Amino acid sequence: MSAPLAAPGAVAPLNAEAGRWSAGQAAVALAIAAFLLAFLIWPVLTVIRVAVTEPDGSLTLSHFGSFFQLSLMRESFANSLYVAGMTVVLATLIAVPLAYITVRFRFRGAILIQTLGVLPLIMPAFMGAAAMQLLFGRSGSVNQLLGQWFGFTLPIMEGLKGVIFVETLHYFPFILLNLSAALANIDSAMEESAQNLGASGWRLFRRIVFPLALPGYVAGASLVFIKVFDDLGTPLVLNVTNMLAPQAYLRVTSIGIEDPIGYVICFILVGFSIAAMAGSAAFLRGRDFATLQRGAAAAPRRDLRPWQAVLAYGWIVGVLLLVLSPHLGILMLSLSKVWSFTLVPEIWTLDNYSVVFRDSTRMITNTFLYCGLAALLDVVIGTAIAYLVLRTRVPGRQWLDHMATVALAMPGVVLGIGYLRTFRDTEIPFTGEALLGSWLIFVLAYTVRRLPYALRSCNAALQQVHLSLEEAAQNLGASRARAIWRVVVPLMAGGILAGFVTSFITAAVEISETILLTSRESLAPMSYGIYLYMQSIAGRGPGAALGVVAIVMVALGTYLSHRFVAARHAQQFMKGQRP
Amino acid sequence: MTTGTGAPVRVEARGVTLAFGASTVLRDIHVRIEPGEFFALLGPSGCGKSTLLRLIAGFNRAQRGGIFLDGVDISAVPPWERNVGMVFQSYALWPHMSVAENVAFGLEERRLPRQRVRARVAEVLELVGLAEFGGRRPGQLSGGQQQRVALARTLAIEPRVLLLDEPLSNLDARLRHHMRRELLAMQRKLGITTIFVTHDQEEAMTTADRIAVMDQGVVQQVGSALELYDAPASRFVAEFVGTINLVPAGDPLFAALVAEPGGATHAAFRPHSVLLAQRPGDPAHHWMPARVAEREFLGEFIRYRLEAAGRELIADLPHALGSAGFAQGAGASLGIDRTQVRLLGA
Amino acid sequence: MQSFLAARLAAAILALAATGTAAQQQVTILTSFPKELTSAYKAAFERANPGMRVEILNKGTSAGVAYLRETRAGDRPDVFWASAPDAFEVLAKDGLLAKFDPAVKGIPDKIGNYPVNDPQGFYRGQALAGYGLMWNTRYLAANKVPAPKEWADLVKPVYFGHLATSSPSRSGTTHLTIETILQAEGWEKGWSQVLQIAGNAVAITERSFGVPDGVSNGQFGIGLVIDFFGLAAKNSGFPVEFAYPSQTAIVPANIALVNGAKNADLGRRFIQFSLSPAGQELLLDPKISRLPVLPETYRKAPAGYPDPYGGKIRAKVNFDSELSESRYFVVSALFDHAITFRHKELVAATRVIHEAAVKLAAKPNAQGQRLLTEARALAFTPVVDETKTRDKGFLALFRETKRDAARQKQMTALEEHWGKQARQNYDKAAALARQAAAAAK
Repeated sequence: MSAPLAAPGAVAPLNAEAGRWSAGQAAVALAIAAFLLAFLIWPVLTVIRVAVTEPDGSLTLSHFGSFFQLSLMRESFANSLYVAGMTVVLATLIAVPLAYITVRFRFRGAILIQTLGVLPLIMPAFMGAAAMQLLFGRSGSVNQLLGQWFGFTLPIMEGLKGVIFVETLHYFPFILLNLSAALANIDSAMEESAQNLGASGWRLFRRIVFPLALPGYVAGASLVFIKVFDDLGTPLVLNVTNMLAPQAYLRVTSIGIEDPIGYVICFILVGFSIAAMAGSAAFLRGRDFATLQRGAAAAPRRDLRPWQAVLAYGWIVGVLLLVLSPHLGILMLSLSKVWSFTLVPEIWTLDNYSVVFRDSTRMITNTFLYCGLAALLDVVIGTAIAYLVLRTRVPGRQWLDHMATVALAMPGVVLGIGYLRTFRDTEIPFTGEALLGSWLIFVLAYTVRRLPYALRSCNAALQQVHLSLEEAAQNLGASRARAIWRVVVPLMAGGILAGFVTSFITAAVEISETILLTSRESLAPMSYGIYLYMQSIAGRGPGAALGVVAIVMVALGTYLSHRFVAARHAQQFMKGQRP
Repeated sequence: MTTGTGAPVRVEARGVTLAFGASTVLRDIHVRIEPGEFFALLGPSGCGKSTLLRLIAGFNRAQRGGIFLDGVDISAVPPWERNVGMVFQSYALWPHMSVAENVAFGLEERRLPRQRVRARVAEVLELVGLAEFGGRRPGQLSGGQQQRVALARTLAIEPRVLLLDEPLSNLDARLRHHMRRELLAMQRKLGITTIFVTHDQEEAMTTADRIAVMDQGVVQQVGSALELYDAPASRFVAEFVGTINLVPAGDPLFAALVAEPGGATHAAFRPHSVLLAQRPGDPAHHWMPARVAEREFLGEFIRYRLEAAGRELIADLPHALGSAGFAQGAGASLGIDRTQVRLLGA
Repeated sequence: MQSFLAARLAAAILALAATGTAAQQQVTILTSFPKELTSAYKAAFERANPGMRVEILNKGTSAGVAYLRETRAGDRPDVFWASAPDAFEVLAKDGLLAKFDPAVKGIPDKIGNYPVNDPQGFYRGQALAGYGLMWNTRYLAANKVPAPKEWADLVKPVYFGHLATSSPSRSGTTHLTIETILQAEGWEKGWSQVLQIAGNAVAITERSFGVPDGVSNGQFGIGLVIDFFGLAAKNSGFPVEFAYPSQTAIVPANIALVNGAKNADLGRRFIQFSLSPAGQELLLDPKISRLPVLPETYRKAPAGYPDPYGGKIRAKVNFDSELSESRYFVVSALFDHAITFRHKELVAATRVIHEAAVKLAAKPNAQGQRLLTEARALAFTPVVDETKTRDKGFLALFRETKRDAARQKQMTALEEHWGKQARQNYDKAAALARQAAAAAK
């Protein structure tokens, strides 16, 4: 039997083969559920139950009523929605052309651009915003130049639009990463047939390429939306408090008061995030995206015509300059002794780096250990959840997805307090060491916190792998598990890598939880060090230097992994070229 | 935009050479396909036939030489402006569009008024017998139906040339025979110059007006099915088109069969030019003893693999009602019709 | 090969885990202070006490409080060391601090009217901090703005858009500054000043460090900051100046022994060290620039070093710490709901009020003047009057740390009322000021 194109229900798990579920699958699902319950749901509940209980412990929904009574909350909700929505729009404008040009065209430095495009994620919010202030702020370099030459300034860092600006530059890589992976998975014939029928350029992109890459785009865009909706670092640094996440944070961290409204906001953030995820899943459901049928014979890269090349390079260089400006700012800051109200620092120095390498090498290795392990766990669990949800009918499988999503909307401080509270007396089996006093707690916290990122990427990647490829492997005698391992996972490699990279990077810059969970300085990761340095005027230089070290190392890792995947793709491309 | 210029066009490849990195995929290809012709590119996988097709469609670019339509070089024309319709091996139907949307795509790209698009979609879907299926998704169709949709999508734009990349390879045998005839009928009706790529010699021979046999990036021979069959220009063509017995020069049998060898390297004869009998008969044949190594019953005839004169020869003998033929392991006399022996050059 | 790698990795992980369990003679300090300060104390203490190690756990104040609350007795850090007195109050109330009298001689009981040490004995002043004004000289020169001297200067139109301050709910010292202004000027007049200053401010920062940071890099012109931030920035080479206004509050930054500490003995030793002459002198380091709590230390200070005991800084206000404490949460909440969350509207009103004043000065007009006065009154009057702040029941509502549904409802209604009222006032004030400006034409 030959069914070359998407058989009905290839994506939705409606097909007869997927109708069954085995004890093994159920066991995996249960194990993941247990993990999430123990390390996410329960710790979080111990904290945010304040929202639904009276001090004596009885249940109440009255606090929710209070929440909706406050016009400040309604305003904050609207502001958060507006900022998240606008950020998605602007991030799309940046990320989509970057992804399309670098994946589809023969383009010098495509891998470099893919790597540079990820850099914004490697920036702790407070550091990125600080650097942006130096460049784009009221007295930043750009506005000083504008003021001197043209007599006006751009208030680009003020209020909600400042938040949108910074968030866009910070989070567009989510779309870039996921969309690039999706584009790479589209069968070349899909595009060639459209060209053959007369489509080219923008219309080809709009009518064929983009719709087929939609799972990747939606995965990225929904992440951006939720991340921005839930983000508190950027608004706080820009002193914008009329948004939901900052409101929750301010109320949760006010000393001496247990303000139930703060925790009500947490509930609402979680509910909204899950709804947004479920919404994007529903949007994709019932559509057929499985475009990868012949193995990973991705479309050959096309040549740009000279004028197109000029346009593309010009545009990309412009975008990259803007996107990388915080990094430039950080780099200058790290090389400066004093930088105040001047275009560039006035006193340059390398001292900051010697300080960092003297004091903080341990933190660097810690970061790699914690975040590497956490990201690894994330892609393993993420792949498992994606598979359970998309390809099996294990009852309640959607709940795994929803549970993991909870972490996305939870302020790090809530999870941190939850961990301290829940694992106060927990010891690690066999060693007897206190869990809270061990580095494992960081791995667990990062794993749980960054799982949603990996999960989105794995989901999108799996949606593009046609069921028949897996069936073929089973038909040739591979057990279901072996088929996943030998066929499905390799085909998902691009998406899994994207998930790993995002998990790793975002974990590397996680602050609020890290600060709470650090019980010894020797255990602390880099983000803690950066935070610590950034607490004083004299520490800004070393803090920036440590930031630069982090950026360079993570960028190197990303670059190498892209090289690795690109090399594999090139091989497959050569094989697939001669039918 | 040209939609249906009417007169069929001539397609030419002139001196086309194309390499991917170090490996040369096409070497100095010269092919001329006449207007309205149904032309096949035949060869084993990896011979470059699909690459040549993609070159005509504009997806590959030759390092040397060019593609000419009615004498006009189109090498610099991008794929979307060539109006050369191609049906992909995988059909490449877009899963996010309905059948009707798929078919309408090319027309919309040509900015046809909505009214005409609708009419044309209905027309071609009618033509391929899928008038009722416009609202379906490609994923809800059988393989054969998908194939027709792909064809309809391409025909809708009234291309100047129709390219078919292994169009029948994904269909089951019965459907393939059926579609083959349908395709031919449609091509005859539309009169469109059609080039199709296949690795199946039977498919090529039954449908194509002329065939180009390709191997290792080189066109070995161009001709009608009859010419290729009866007068193969090379050992490769002889072996690839139909079944053949080859006897190299220097073999005693070669000397026995060929009076004036010239510069020939092989003597070649088809299995049905071989007779099998209890004892030698017709003296126009060259007779020798043989032993039946294997036999295959193929319905119309029986194919014998025989050991004779120290080599393996194949004989096809018509099957007659009630005749059991020769049994495996049996001895027999084998006669080769000298008049049917051809000489092959290099 | 793979299993070899796995074994290597496992070994590395174990080694890493093992390193944590060394050194018994270790004192752990939970602090919110910057690295320059803590490193200096760590080095000096370890030098003075060979064989002992200081582990610094740096967490923001609220994270530090949460950490102490959630850590089990016996595992807790030994010393809590931070600025905000309210954090110490909360910890003491939760039984997380241990009484300890280090018996150091020479430290006075009061600075001005403010007790240096916790009267109950749970925490002690370790350094003094005064609030003052810090400004970026380049910024002021570029924007042609004069350097301010007093809080009252900051209400002037010339400072519009050049100030920054934190919020009392986020920073204990900001709270003390606001409270100082309120006590010096009285409730109504004090709030009027605070509202005008906030109306001139370009940002209400979430962290108190955000203000000196922004002034240092030139983002803000003038900031309301704790002295050491200003002094340390200046001493690090930044083009900033710092000055105490005549009415300022000098308050202690505190240190306390944690109840349920792992190594209480060492903790005591560290506290004693921090209060000893040797420990106090560390504060004079230019990168730290804090005011020692031990008066004799100032004899070793470089010339020009501010000395709160020497009469150079005048704390004119007789600071009433009981009054401050009784209305602590009211002041914080009022500030947030009337200023922090409504800052956009307040700034908008302030802008048009300034503009109208300029126009009326050029073309005086009685009607316009009346409208402007009305606008000012609307914009710069607190939405809570002073009598309310003496109402015990009202205050009790705010002091409740765990709120049940009924109380939460009351609180919500109050917050809603304040926020709405403030917004209405600002919007209406802006409209009136616009009319006033129109009248001047």
